[in-house]
Amino acid sequence: MDAAGYAMLELQGLTRRFGATLAVDQVSLAVPAGQMLGIIGRSGAGKSTLLRLLNRLIEPTSGRILSEGREVTALRGRALRAWRRDCAMVFQQFNLVQRLDVLGNVLIGRLAHQHGLRRALVLLAGAFTAGERAMALAALERFGLLEVALQRAETLSGGQQQRVALCRALLQQPRLILADEPIASLDPANARVVMEALRQVNREEGITVLVNLHHLDTAREYCDRILAMQAGRVVFDGAPAALDAARVREIYGISEEEFAAEAAARAEAGRAAA
Amino acid sequence: MPLAGPDVAAWRARLPAAFGAAPRTRLLRALAAAAFLAWLAWALVHFGVSPQRLWNGLGGLLAILRLMVPPSPGELWLDILQGLAESLAMAFLGTFVAALIAVPLGFLGAGNVVTAVLLRFSIRRLFDGFRGIDQLIWALAYVRAVGLGPLAGVLAIATADIAVLAKLYAEAIENVERRQVEGVAAAGGGWPERLRFGILPQVLPVMLAQALYFFESNTRSAAILGVVGAGGIGLQIAERIRVRHWDEVAFIILLMIAMVAAIDWASARLRRRLIGR
Repeated sequence: MDAAGYAMLELQGLTRRFGATLAVDQVSLAVPAGQMLGIIGRSGAGKSTLLRLLNRLIEPTSGRILSEGREVTALRGRALRAWRRDCAMVFQQFNLVQRLDVLGNVLIGRLAHQHGLRRALVLLAGAFTAGERAMALAALERFGLLEVALQRAETLSGGQQQRVALCRALLQQPRLILADEPIASLDPANARVVMEALRQVNREEGITVLVNLHHLDTAREYCDRILAMQAGRVVFDGAPAALDAARVREIYGISEEEFAAEAAARAEAGRAAA
Repeated sequence: MPLAGPDVAAWRARLPAAFGAAPRTRLLRALAAAAFLAWLAWALVHFGVSPQRLWNGLGGLLAILRLMVPPSPGELWLDILQGLAESLAMAFLGTFVAALIAVPLGFLGAGNVVTAVLLRFSIRRLFDGFRGIDQLIWALAYVRAVGLGPLAGVLAIATADIAVLAKLYAEAIENVERRQVEGVAAAGGGWPERLRFGILPQVLPVMLAQALYFFESNTRSAAILGVVGAGGIGLQIAERIRVRHWDEVAFIILLMIAMVAAIDWASARLRRRLIGR
């Protein structure tokens, strides 16, 4: 909570229906600034839909999202663009523009910062300022990507691409990062690098992080707080330590090993798709 | 925060390419742009393109449009229908013959079928050569060779399309998935079996779909062929323009649009079924 008593994010009865299925069902919770929140659940539990609702990539069927007292669900036009700049997304499949070079992809994070004449110049000629280019290079160097800055994104490995996506997110200078299964398509070593990076920006820059994960171990290791979802509802919300094996069995009806095996199979499929 | 002052200078020194093209490249780009603009200006001046002439032309066009309303079939509407049917038949026959001949040629031009580089190279260049000659030129030649009438039109359509279809077919064949062909080879299939059971099932729907596109576009262009005496509806149009019966021209145009739309609709349905989506 900040001085005025507002949370970074407050969800009130957030619901999204796709046809007959309730993807997200009456979710209410508050996220204080600076928290690293892990959201776990099996596929189809509504984790992705929840993050996409927060970024307003999809609209809620009912319910509200508030950020520091401002109603996010009511934003339109320029204000909506500004909100999306403030809550950067990181996707499972990276969502980089493959034909653009790495630097160009990172500079996409600056787009919502351009206004008026500058915006026109950027649209017509890609005229980002030297300061912004230097900022992008500094971010790339931070994640060991400086050597590939001028290569096309499609030439990079999955782990490198996800780090580029993270640089793009950071150039937005966001207050919030929404990471939707950021490591599901990565091998274990790269998964670690990306999770460490997320934790680093959370700890050092105080950016609030919401991250969808399907490994309980990862969530326990990196997150301050864990949310478990099942069929669109929040079925657990608490400290990592409270989510022990007994609790997992109670929630999902399977043992933690089975949950992990299921996640591993899905990760394999994700890597094959990437 | 975007960096400022000395930090930017340091980065610019480390990785100048990230801050824009080198002066040499910029100069070359500016020169290329200038050359392009000069060419454009020269063409406009040379052809006497002026707003005045465009405006006057617009007036003339408007006069013609006014003469077109209301469209009328005139007295010789049977001739019109016959001409349309003839155009359609020309397009169909021409495309059919072209597609048939293009299949073996396509195989000959495909790098994964014909491995003899010299042979494939000369075949490909032959395609390119033929593609450089337009249908209309072929039509003029065939009218002299086989006389006035639809036969010249059919031959013109076929000759002009063989090379283009063969090139497209060759590319389709080159894009087949190797593993499927390997499966046939591993089962003991020789090269005819590999072509027939490994490659053909993959490319046949693509080939048919492309032939359908050509049929559609040839129905349109078959109208032109009549103007040079190669049969079809074009003759009817040319005659009516000569005596300024624009209302009848409009009638023919409307019929042609309807016919092309019908073919477009039918071939789209067929293509969907062939490609299976």
